[in-house]
Amino acid sequence: MNLTRFFAAALAGTALTAGVQADENLLGSVKGAEVLPKGAYDLYTAIKWRAGKGTGDYDAIDIKTELEYGFSDRFQGGVALFGRSVSNEGLIVDGYLPLEGNFGPKLAAIELTGKYNFLSPAKDDFGLSMYSSLNYDWMDAHSGQDKDTLSLEFELIGQKYFLEGQMIWMGNISVEGTYADRAPIDNLPDDFDWPTDPEMELEVTLGTGLSYRFAPNWYLGAEIEYQTEFETEVGQERWSVFGGPSIHYGGAKWWATATWLPQLSGGGETYDGQPDGLHLIEKTKNEFILKVGLNF
Amino acid sequence: MNQFNRNFVFLAALPTLAISQSVYAKDYLSVADARKILFPAAQTFLDHKLTITKDQKKAIKDLSGVRQRWDDQLVWRAEADGRFLGWLVVDEVVGKHEFITYAVGITPDGRVIGVEILSYRETHGYQIMEADWRNQFKGKTIDGAFKLDEDISNISGATLSCRNVTDGVKRVLALHQLVLMDG
Repeated sequence: MNLTRFFAAALAGTALTAGVQADENLLGSVKGAEVLPKGAYDLYTAIKWRAGKGTGDYDAIDIKTELEYGFSDRFQGGVALFGRSVSNEGLIVDGYLPLEGNFGPKLAAIELTGKYNFLSPAKDDFGLSMYSSLNYDWMDAHSGQDKDTLSLEFELIGQKYFLEGQMIWMGNISVEGTYADRAPIDNLPDDFDWPTDPEMELEVTLGTGLSYRFAPNWYLGAEIEYQTEFETEVGQERWSVFGGPSIHYGGAKWWATATWLPQLSGGGETYDGQPDGLHLIEKTKNEFILKVGLNF
Repeated sequence: MNQFNRNFVFLAALPTLAISQSVYAKDYLSVADARKILFPAAQTFLDHKLTITKDQKKAIKDLSGVRQRWDDQLVWRAEADGRFLGWLVVDEVVGKHEFITYAVGITPDGRVIGVEILSYRETHGYQIMEADWRNQFKGKTIDGAFKLDEDISNISGATLSCRNVTDGVKRVLALHQLVLMDG
């Protein structure tokens, strides 16, 4: 079955049952500290559209669908599947983007997640949770080529309610270690660098955001996220700052969040002739995120 | 943009479709219902709507530790055969997604007769409307602790709602002491 149609049908089905919400995502990237209560389910789909590298015509879509379950009132676990499509025309970057063309859509990754809540933002005044994920991915998110990665992430999540809960602050700090192994590509030019020796990557992300309920069920939010990655061969490979607005709808049965995250600043590795002030090899100029979740 | 990415437009349209399908609200009790439950012997309910001054708001915050959000407060004086039975206060607090509307019956000397939830529209925590949870407020005065998992039990998945209703009842008792006590 075509992956796109599968996800579209799944999303339409969940939305039209007018069903579901609890580990509700108020923002596009920055997470909140709350967890599902024991016995509750949450199913959501997140679509991330990454567009623009300053040269040529590049865009990619990542679709994540995750089922989460509250094992206790403090711990929830989840399992997620990722689909991905990468389209690249007019940009070849030595070591990073070896080919032009359309790659995917295909199933790209599977992930296990867990979140443990230490402090409740509503009961303890300040919410604190630890989030962890184990991800196995077999499609390079940047080039669309075959690349096996195994990633383990640990993230501390803080959350604070203001105005009796009408305004919510969230802050995240995460560290992710990744083992990566690229598959060889036939017929590359002799002088093209496409390392196939396994490498290690360490990614650090700091994010913070605010969400304000401006009318019943409706929230406006803003977030900013700094991310940097260190890699075996080049040291600090990249850093970037993304920031932008979100609009969120949350009801008793379901929720949705739409987010625009332009890259505000970046640096690290560059390709010849790229615009200054951004990191455009592994990141894009813009990210658009749409999430729809159902709560059971 | 390739074929796959064009489907993004279709996917983006789904939330709007879903919103049109599922916006709803559920009200469980009317104010008239709450009057009968909290003051079954009452024959008359005299409208005693209050407009809270800035100074009164500050005093309520100081006494209860909770912000008085509203300028206007719906209050009725319950009487039977000219005898003063108590006050009925209808209030709203922030829920996770929508306001929770509830009514508090208070004796003339400032004890909670009962709490009734009029409107609750959240995903979890419908136990908040059950008598076991609401009965925890019966007999409480402004001197109560009003702390979740101390004198008021929490409901998992609805902690914000529980906290705000608990804080709200304490604030209503402060309103009673500062504004209504003299009748």
